[in-house]
Amino acid sequence: MALARTAAVPRLGRALVAAFVFAATAFALFAAAAPAHADPVDPATADQTIQVWVRNNADKAGVAGVGVSVTGDGFDESFTTGDDGKVIVGLEDAGTYTVTLDESTIPAGMGRPNAISRDVQVFSGNKNQPANFLIDPSFAPDATGSGTGDGASESPTETPGASTGSSQDIAGLVIQKIVTGLIFGLLLALAAIGLSLIYGTTSLNNFAHGELVTFGGLMAFTFGNLLGLPAVLAIPIAVILGGAFGWTQDAVLWKPLRRRGLKLIPLMIVTIGLSLVLRYLFAFIWGADRMTLANDPKPFLVLGPVSLRFTDVFGAGLAIVVLLVVAFVLMRTKIGKAMRAVSDNRALAAASGINVERVIRVVWVGGGALAALAGVYVAYYQGLRWDTGAAILLLIFAAVTLGGLGTAFGALVGSLVLSVFMNLSTLWIPENLKIVGALVVMILILLFRPQGILGRRERIG
Amino acid sequence: MDFNFIPLAFGEVFSPTTAAYALAAIGLAVHFGFAGLLNFGQAGFMALGGYAFAVTTVIFGLPVWMGFLMVIAVSVVFALILGIPTLRLRADYLSIVTIAAAEIVRLSVKTPEFSDVTGGSEGINGAGRVFNEATNPLPDGRWGVGVLTYSSAQWWLIIVGWAMVAIACLLVWLLTRSPWGRVLRGIREDEDAVRSLGKNVYQYKMQALIIGGVIGGFGGFLFILPRSLQPDNYGTQMTFFLYTILLLGGAATVFGPVLGSIIFWVVLSLSDGVLSLLVSNGWLPIATTQQGPIRFIIVGVALMLLVIFRPQGILGKKKEALFSA
Repeated sequence: MALARTAAVPRLGRALVAAFVFAATAFALFAAAAPAHADPVDPATADQTIQVWVRNNADKAGVAGVGVSVTGDGFDESFTTGDDGKVIVGLEDAGTYTVTLDESTIPAGMGRPNAISRDVQVFSGNKNQPANFLIDPSFAPDATGSGTGDGASESPTETPGASTGSSQDIAGLVIQKIVTGLIFGLLLALAAIGLSLIYGTTSLNNFAHGELVTFGGLMAFTFGNLLGLPAVLAIPIAVILGGAFGWTQDAVLWKPLRRRGLKLIPLMIVTIGLSLVLRYLFAFIWGADRMTLANDPKPFLVLGPVSLRFTDVFGAGLAIVVLLVVAFVLMRTKIGKAMRAVSDNRALAAASGINVERVIRVVWVGGGALAALAGVYVAYYQGLRWDTGAAILLLIFAAVTLGGLGTAFGALVGSLVLSVFMNLSTLWIPENLKIVGALVVMILILLFRPQGILGRRERIG
Repeated sequence: MDFNFIPLAFGEVFSPTTAAYALAAIGLAVHFGFAGLLNFGQAGFMALGGYAFAVTTVIFGLPVWMGFLMVIAVSVVFALILGIPTLRLRADYLSIVTIAAAEIVRLSVKTPEFSDVTGGSEGINGAGRVFNEATNPLPDGRWGVGVLTYSSAQWWLIIVGWAMVAIACLLVWLLTRSPWGRVLRGIREDEDAVRSLGKNVYQYKMQALIIGGVIGGFGGFLFILPRSLQPDNYGTQMTFFLYTILLLGGAATVFGPVLGSIIFWVVLSLSDGVLSLLVSNGWLPIATTQQGPIRFIIVGVALMLLVIFRPQGILGKKKEALFSA
């Protein structure tokens, strides 16, 4: 068994290196432009909003009662401007939206708008992205808003309407989806490695792992936003507290339960009870609103069809560094070798003088810290709620199953593959079904290769 | 001060919702208590049962008996889809696949793309009315005592619900006393031993999954009758509630799920009432929006304590609670 493991190492190493090169190249070249769509959201709480402003060119006064329709991939809603000529449209997702005026609702005699429709590019976290229209008797409207008037030209990457659907755009879209997928995949990998290591060393399927992720995000939010610490301090504090949370869980709950000799199935039910308790404790303390960490929405790096925010570039770079450190610890250090030995064969490891309880404790601390970092990323990228961790828990499980339960590198490969697949699938299936697609893939994997991509046959006995 | 919550909590003893959860928990007892299958997706069976009935009768306007047939058909198909890839694997794989499958069901019926049939995130309204108009033999009127006065339609639901629970209990009691039930318990205790006796373990597990799933599907049907069908009711917390109910009463018992469901809902209703009383009088310094999470925290703590300190539940025997895995 030990021989098999050593023989597998170069293969794992190569897969790991390949995955990193793939990820790093993609990051160097492109960046995450989020895809479009979804239902209307309350503008007061939405992460992204478009501000449509219709004014009379003569006196620059707002024009009330103009019908406005906003369409994007899967989003199609109509609004009417208020007394000040404005309407704020809440959007659940970033993307490119087309704002179209209903010309028949413009008061008679005022004239015509300078554009019938404008394409507005909304990046994640953008508030009040402008879509301005002027109305004047002298205007002859063009088809899309590339011409006169203030406003739309402020949008960083306004796409001329005519070119949509060309092959270039499809290639660009595919690249965007791959990059978005890789970034989310790195986030997922941070959480998945912890889950996989805990499973490997204790055989426990931890259904409360999502709450470790939420905990990290909440700590970053609490220290960064509520207490006003800079992110450089708030993020390390969140990660350290995440590790401490993992340590506490093992010390207070899991170790005593292992001592009691509780079997695996009852232990799994304990994890679902714990998940319920923690999740609703978060809701009790932090409330039910979505929390977002301050995020500079400006594109930091625009390359080709992809535009990255600073947090995307820096976050991805940091995640890669952290994952490389984890890989180094697992492959080269004594404690890492002990972890793999315990995963491989617990009794044999104990017999060879490895302190199994200590290894498990280290795994819980590491897993908690990595999950907390993943939670910080979620808070930056998507905003955080009390049930965010529970919502991505199944994706973490899918990634781990895809890679092979109990293998750390399998979790990494599985996360990247799953996340890229999930984002690419939105080219064919509706965005809100992408999680369904990922979970279906997981079930199919279990049907045809239950040990996962990097797992070994005998693991599934 | 309003103490109406005390009789209202007593009303939970025989409410149709209690019966619906009892029924779904009986299905889960077949899976988990008798066969040892760690099904974390019973909410998926309930969702499918509810949707199968509502879509057949409300959306397509077909007769009620067609709705029942669809509940059975859809539950059987779902059990097969879940069982074929996972029943040959270890218990923990079944848990991941079932929890994922239940979420697949919830997210799929919720998506706007299928809203013509499923009602999207709005769900479907009116299954209870259709069922009542088609089947209720009771005369119009209201009967009862004080706050526990119910209309003819509500009484009919209570009667139907508890009749179904009684039938399911009888069925499970007969099944578990049969040779089939003994093999099932054998599988729970030691799969390899049963296999070495020449039994097809996979077949037995699949049969258990189907029977428990169909009972769970009818639990879902019963669940939607007093309320509208909402996809988000079928999240993972519903399955976790069912596990709490099951472990409270006793997982490997016939009447455990029924007793568990009654205690569960009476206690939740009482704790909600006491909390509201404390908060509205300012004796407990929390916001009213913070009341909601407390009931889930209570359930979670109860679930953990039960598993750790009394895994056999109220009615179970200690030696039946030592799961093999």
